[in-house]
This record gives sequence, structure tokens and C-alpha cells, in this order.
Amino acid sequence: MQLELISQDFAQRAVSPFLELGAYESLWDEQSASFKSIADLFSKQEGAVPSDFVERSRASSYANDVHARLKDAGIRSYGVRVHGAGDYPERLRVADHPIELLYFQGWWELVNSPRSVAVVGTRKPSAEGLARTRRLVKSLLQDDFTIVSGLAAGVDTAAHTAAIELGGRTIAVLGTPLSKSYPASNAKLQKEIAEHHLLISQVPVKRYSNQRNPTSNNFFFPERNITMSALTDATIIVEAGETSGTLVQARHALKQGRKVFILESNFRNPELKWPHTFEERGAIRVADYDDIRRHLVPVTTH
Amino acid sequence: MTTSGDTSFPSRLTKIDELTRGDHTFLEAGDECLFFGDYSARKGFSHSATNQLILNFKKPVRFRGTASWRYKALAINAAANAFTQNLGAALSQLTLVPVPPSKLKTDPEYDDRVMDMLRAIRAPAGVIPDVRELIRQTHPMAAAHESANRPPPGEWENVYAIDETLVQNEPTWIGIVDDLLVTGCRFRAMSNVLKRRFPAARITGLFLARRVPEAIDFSEFFTDLDQ
Repeated sequence: MQLELISQDFAQRAVSPFLELGAYESLWDEQSASFKSIADLFSKQEGAVPSDFVERSRASSYANDVHARLKDAGIRSYGVRVHGAGDYPERLRVADHPIELLYFQGWWELVNSPRSVAVVGTRKPSAEGLARTRRLVKSLLQDDFTIVSGLAAGVDTAAHTAAIELGGRTIAVLGTPLSKSYPASNAKLQKEIAEHHLLISQVPVKRYSNQRNPTSNNFFFPERNITMSALTDATIIVEAGETSGTLVQARHALKQGRKVFILESNFRNPELKWPHTFEERGAIRVADYDDIRRHLVPVTTH
Repeated sequence: MTTSGDTSFPSRLTKIDELTRGDHTFLEAGDECLFFGDYSARKGFSHSATNQLILNFKKPVRFRGTASWRYKALAINAAANAFTQNLGAALSQLTLVPVPPSKLKTDPEYDDRVMDMLRAIRAPAGVIPDVRELIRQTHPMAAAHESANRPPPGEWENVYAIDETLVQNEPTWIGIVDDLLVTGCRFRAMSNVLKRRFPAARITGLFLARRVPEAIDFSEFFTDLDQ
């Protein structure tokens, strides 16, 4: 369905991010919509934007509704990126089901950091895991990396917090809409990142709040891991259990041609099989920061 | 110079709409303003293709003759290409009017970059782009980034005058062209002056980028370059 395009002049054809967010939200409000179904729709029509598939009045109505919801949640300022227009990050296209639209708050330019890594791991890390996260972030910051994580409890929170406390830059890729915090205890950290760093969410606001069963939104968490790996040069897994969502990110990072580093300590845990499995698939076992540095920081000759 | 890292200068125009209008104080709900990218440089961090293009496009004239000067010409060309691609057939209807440089022609810092870009726009076969400096600035004003107190649109209206030698063919659709949309002050002033003279004309603002509110003033980059 290509609506109204023929008779429009260039100004009418220009992309309206507000209308696009409404159209995106409308596509998500259809039964059985998923990142896959939406990506499939777009793959059939090169150069399409969400409003090519949704009636204008419907898109406007969704846009107004979602805008009001975000304002009600106290979000004064936010933006969207639309594939095919503006400063959409092309590197996201390596994902299996690339996202067509995302929401953000804060310092967008961090997306274009010359060096960026995702530091991720379990929601329930050991004390050593937390200490390792902080040491790792400190070393990464010395090499001017932007620290990307998912604002979950545990390793994610430790990574963002260390980056902020040590004066670095950080990006949080949410598994919730901008208007929600998960865990709720991270609301303050989320606000801090929105104001001084960068917060990104691909999660549709209306679809998320309309779900009656809270667990039916859980699939958004691993989906954001796929975006996080696409956005960064590499993913570093500090500590993770056998069923951790972090492993989704490891799998997709490798598929996307991104490097995956697994801290040595994970290999020493006899209960874990995943470190070995992923090492066989191409992940890199690292004993210390220098092992990571060797792969990510080009050697300069003076 | 259209790429930086894995980003490229946006190829499709975006509208100022409900999401962004509030960032540009002097724009009104009925204004039709289009831009390609967001200028979002902060804290010495400027890596996107849009940020790089704007910084190169606005490089002050005092850098003429330095190694970095050629990037300005490249940015002007890239910008002209972006408009060429987007305006296409509409160039047969549009009159493109540059926002005059903030310095007068006699000033050593006078920078005609927007007009240079407009001259480089290519129209489809059979169409000659209608580029006219319809608005002249009669008195000097400090450049927006050099003045702590930015003058309101009314003050700009006072120094803008229609060049009556250029109005033989009455424009029906005017594109007011500038590199960076900041407060919308000069667009407002240009728009008001042009509407009074050509009440029937449609007016569209055309910008390379809009400045997001938190972005630092680009002049800070040039201060750094001076050191």
C-alpha cells in the first residue's frame, strides 16, 4: 500500500518524525505484530517509512496519543530516528530484523562515538563480578570508549554507574518504552542518562502499556540486546548464567560481525557451558583488559 | 565529505513538526520548514556526517588558504547535491532565496556560502533554477553566534529589504534557504517581509540542519581550531 505519494510535492513527501512514530505505533498495535513481521513488511518495499503503510489520520491519532502518554510520564523532550531519513544509525541494519524507528532522549551524538562497547551481564552478579565491571569500565574509559548497556539490574547498572561516576559517556538501550523504568529502582539512573548521556528505546509505547499480561512484554528485553550489539563495536560479557538474556546478545553480535569478549572468570566456573560454546563460535576469551585492547584499539606508531 | 564513520549526510528531507517545533522559538504552527539532519555537537564531540557537514559549511572565511579550507567547498557541493536530489521537478516552480550573510559585502568576514550552494544546485533538463537574492540586508548585524543577546525577528525585519530590481517574475513558491535552523529568527523575519510583498506566495524554509537545543554553538569549534 503506497498512499498519496504520486500527487505530493517534495515538501509534502518530507518525513515527519511525529507522524512516523504514530504510524510505527499503529503497526505495532496490530495483532501478532513483531519486530520480524514489521521488518518483513519493510523488506518488501525499499525506502518505505512507517507512514507508507498507515492512513495519515490513523497515524496522527496514534502520534497524539503516544505523545500525551510520554508527556504524562514526565518526558519533556524526546526524539525519534526513522530509517531512511535524518540521522538514523545505518549500523543497525545488520540486525536480523532491523528496527525502522527508535525513540531517544539526550545526547544523540554518542551514537556516533568513534569507539563504543557494550558491557553486559547477569542481573545478579557476584561481588567479584561487580568489581570486575567497574575495573573494566575504568580501563575502557581511559581509551575513550563510550559504554553501552541495557539499564537492567546487576552488571548493566554497574557499567552505567561506573561510566558516569568516572566521568565517561554512556548509552542505555532500554527493553521498555522511555516512559517506563525496569527495574523501578533504576528510574533515577535512567533520568540521569536521559539528561546527560543517551537513552534509546525501540519499544512501542502504546502496545507495551496495553498488554494485560505483564510477561507478554518480556520479549522486548532480548530484542533490545540485538540492537545493542548492532550499535556497538563489540560486546563484553562480564558474568552470565546459562540462561541469561546476555547470551542472546552474544549470539547476535557474532552473527552481525561484531566482536564478543568473554571474561576468563566465566570459563573457570565448571557449571557453565556457554563460555566454551561461544568461544567455539568465535567469541574471544580475555584474561585482562589488555587482551580486549589489543583487538579494539589500533596500534599507533609515533 | 558526506560520510563520517558509518554515517552519511541524510539524503531525504525531514519536516519540522510537533516533535521539534518547540526547539525553534520563532517558528509557528503553520510554518513549513524542512531540513536534512540534526546538528547535535556537544562537548567537543562532533562525529556525525551532519555535524561535520555543518562545521565545514560554516567554516569562517579567515580559514581561507589553510589545509582545512577545501572541506568547505566539499561541504557546499554535498549540500547542493542533497537539494538537487530532493527538489527535482519542483525547481520549475520554486524561487530559492538565500538568507543574507550576517556580514555586509564590505566586511572581510562576509561569507556567501549559502548563495554558493544555491548556484551549484542542478535542475532537471529544461529547467533553470530560479535563485534570487530577493532580500538584501541594509545594515550590519552581529552574527547570531557572536551576540549574547540575539536580536528578535523584528530587528532583522528592519534591516531586510526586498531587492525591487529582481521582482519582474512574481514568485509563487519561495524557498527561504539557510544552512542551520537555530531559533528560526531570521526565517521569521524573511518570511514576514516576503509575505507582505508577495501575499499569494507559498513559503517553505529549507535548511541543511536544525540545531538541537543542547548542541553547543559551532563557533566554539572554531575557537578550538584557532589555538
